Amino acid sequence: MSLDPEPVPTVVDPVTPNVNVVAGERKQARRENFRLLIKRPGFVIGALVSLFWVVCAIFGDAITPYDPLNFRTTKHLKPFGKYIFGTDQSGRDIVSRVMAGARDVLIVAPPAAIFGVLAGTMLGLIMGYFGGWVDSVLSRVVDAFLALPVLLIALLALVTLGKSRVVVIIVVSILFAPVVSRTIRAAVLAERDLDYVTSARLRGEGSIFIMFREILPNVSGPIVVELTVRIGYAVFTIATLSFLGVGPPPPSPDWGAQVSDGYGVLSAGIWWPTIFPALAIATLVIAVNLMADAVQSVLEG
Amino acid sequence: MARFLLKRLGLAIITLWLLATIVFAIVNVLPGNVGRQVLGPFASQQSVDAYNHELGTDRPLINQYSKSLTNLATFDFGNSYSTKEDVAPKITKALFRSAKLAGLALILTVPIGIAAGAYAARRKDKLADRTIVMTGLATSSMPEFVTATILVALFCSSRDSYFRAFADPPDGTSFFGQFKYLFMPGLAMAIVYFGYIARITRAGVINALEADYSRTAIMKGLTSGRVMRRHVLRNALGPTISVVGVQIGYLFGGILGVEKVFNYHGLGTEILNAIGNQDLPILSAAVLTVGIVYMLATLAADVLIAWLNPRVLLETKR
Repeated sequence: MSLDPEPVPTVVDPVTPNVNVVAGERKQARRENFRLLIKRPGFVIGALVSLFWVVCAIFGDAITPYDPLNFRTTKHLKPFGKYIFGTDQSGRDIVSRVMAGARDVLIVAPPAAIFGVLAGTMLGLIMGYFGGWVDSVLSRVVDAFLALPVLLIALLALVTLGKSRVVVIIVVSILFAPVVSRTIRAAVLAERDLDYVTSARLRGEGSIFIMFREILPNVSGPIVVELTVRIGYAVFTIATLSFLGVGPPPPSPDWGAQVSDGYGVLSAGIWWPTIFPALAIATLVIAVNLMADAVQSVLEG
Repeated sequence: MARFLLKRLGLAIITLWLLATIVFAIVNVLPGNVGRQVLGPFASQQSVDAYNHELGTDRPLINQYSKSLTNLATFDFGNSYSTKEDVAPKITKALFRSAKLAGLALILTVPIGIAAGAYAARRKDKLADRTIVMTGLATSSMPEFVTATILVALFCSSRDSYFRAFADPPDGTSFFGQFKYLFMPGLAMAIVYFGYIARITRAGVINALEADYSRTAIMKGLTSGRVMRRHVLRNALGPTISVVGVQIGYLFGGILGVEKVFNYHGLGTEILNAIGNQDLPILSAAVLTVGIVYMLATLAADVLIAWLNPRVLLETKR
């Protein structure tokens, strides 16, 4: 038996897509989507607010009015005087601490979301593409994971494994992966019987190539949507975890930790050490969700 | 239906096993000698060893693991490390308190969510619709402890405010007397959760309003209230029910932050205290209880939906 393959026809293979044309179209579609996005007021507002917090996170104490950690004056000074947001129980300037606290959330939440979406996408591609028993087994595992209370498992894991940033990122991303995988699996299922996949298979491409070079670009919409939505959830989850006491240790200006430090004196009328960091969390999660909502309606029509 | 029920129950048992295994794995990574921790630094090595033997913590992990599974099956969680009390009644009490709070939150959330969603759907793309959708999006993205602290600052922060920042009603408070303690924590959760329900209801109602049977009903001359009640809502609420089921689970997960803000002694506080005291039996029992509630809620929702909409059953056959 000869190992030589059939003679390759010299005419242009009609099944192989013209890569340049496809890439060009995709680029144009991306530009069009972006144009639609910046027309939406929700997206613009969300982006501006997020940008503000990102700037605070990057520059930290370089742009805060006072040193967020070491500056000390009289404790519990009222807001809107010399210190715009007042001072906390240790006499530190709250506006400086709120600005600096953006770093503690933003250094952890986006990476956690990105790794969660990466892992979920891999899992979803495998489940959707292979189908059969691979899909059945993995789907059961994913379903079982979905029925777990994310926050509680994260809390337990952080208590035992330690509260370092790396651990937070790993734990949150593992807990996010199953949800993401379900969405991606559904998107892959809709693609896998289309002609371009069949023809790639007939061309003799390997599974890995088909999954990552053929199907993956065509499910990029749901992936981008998942990513923006997950960043919002990651901020939500990580802020709650640090409020519950597994965030960065004092004297870190982390928002959740600040709320946790101050909420005890709320009922005594001293609201500013708690409410300003709480509002910071609220503005960031709302901003991210406004962006996610706009991205979702643009990409999913 | 029987086939669907069996399949769904099987999944629930797998989830429970997974949960028990994760909790066991995590809890047994906790460093330290349990006997030494409970008895203190001055106890003799002999009594520490005896105590460890009594608890079974000196046995191989595999034996401890199988014992933890049988304990779960018989609802026997042993005694607390810190107070030596039996864990089960303590957890039952905390569960009851958390359920009371979650129940109130649900009573506030569901009608508000459905009403807001149905109203928004009938005013589709008008200002009222946009406002409801945007408010829901904004509030449902906030963590529960954030809305809770804001409510405390607004309504519970002076001596003569009606609502209390400490949600634990004193023993013997009458059923209606408990209202001023529990209303604010319940509302804090309702604010976070009504958005999802409103969103799903809105989508369902818009779909049903556009369907032929609604047009027929309107043409027949039914009043719009009757069309909504008899034709639209009945068809539109399926997805809403599934969301409510999932919400019950979320309520129990999100209750930790609210209980902490309002100093309420439910499961969440039990869990946070157990973490502080490294009280493993209470910690695992409380986490498993939350997990079981979470699981039962989604299970009930799935079954209810399958019963309302038999098309779901066909899906599982494939």
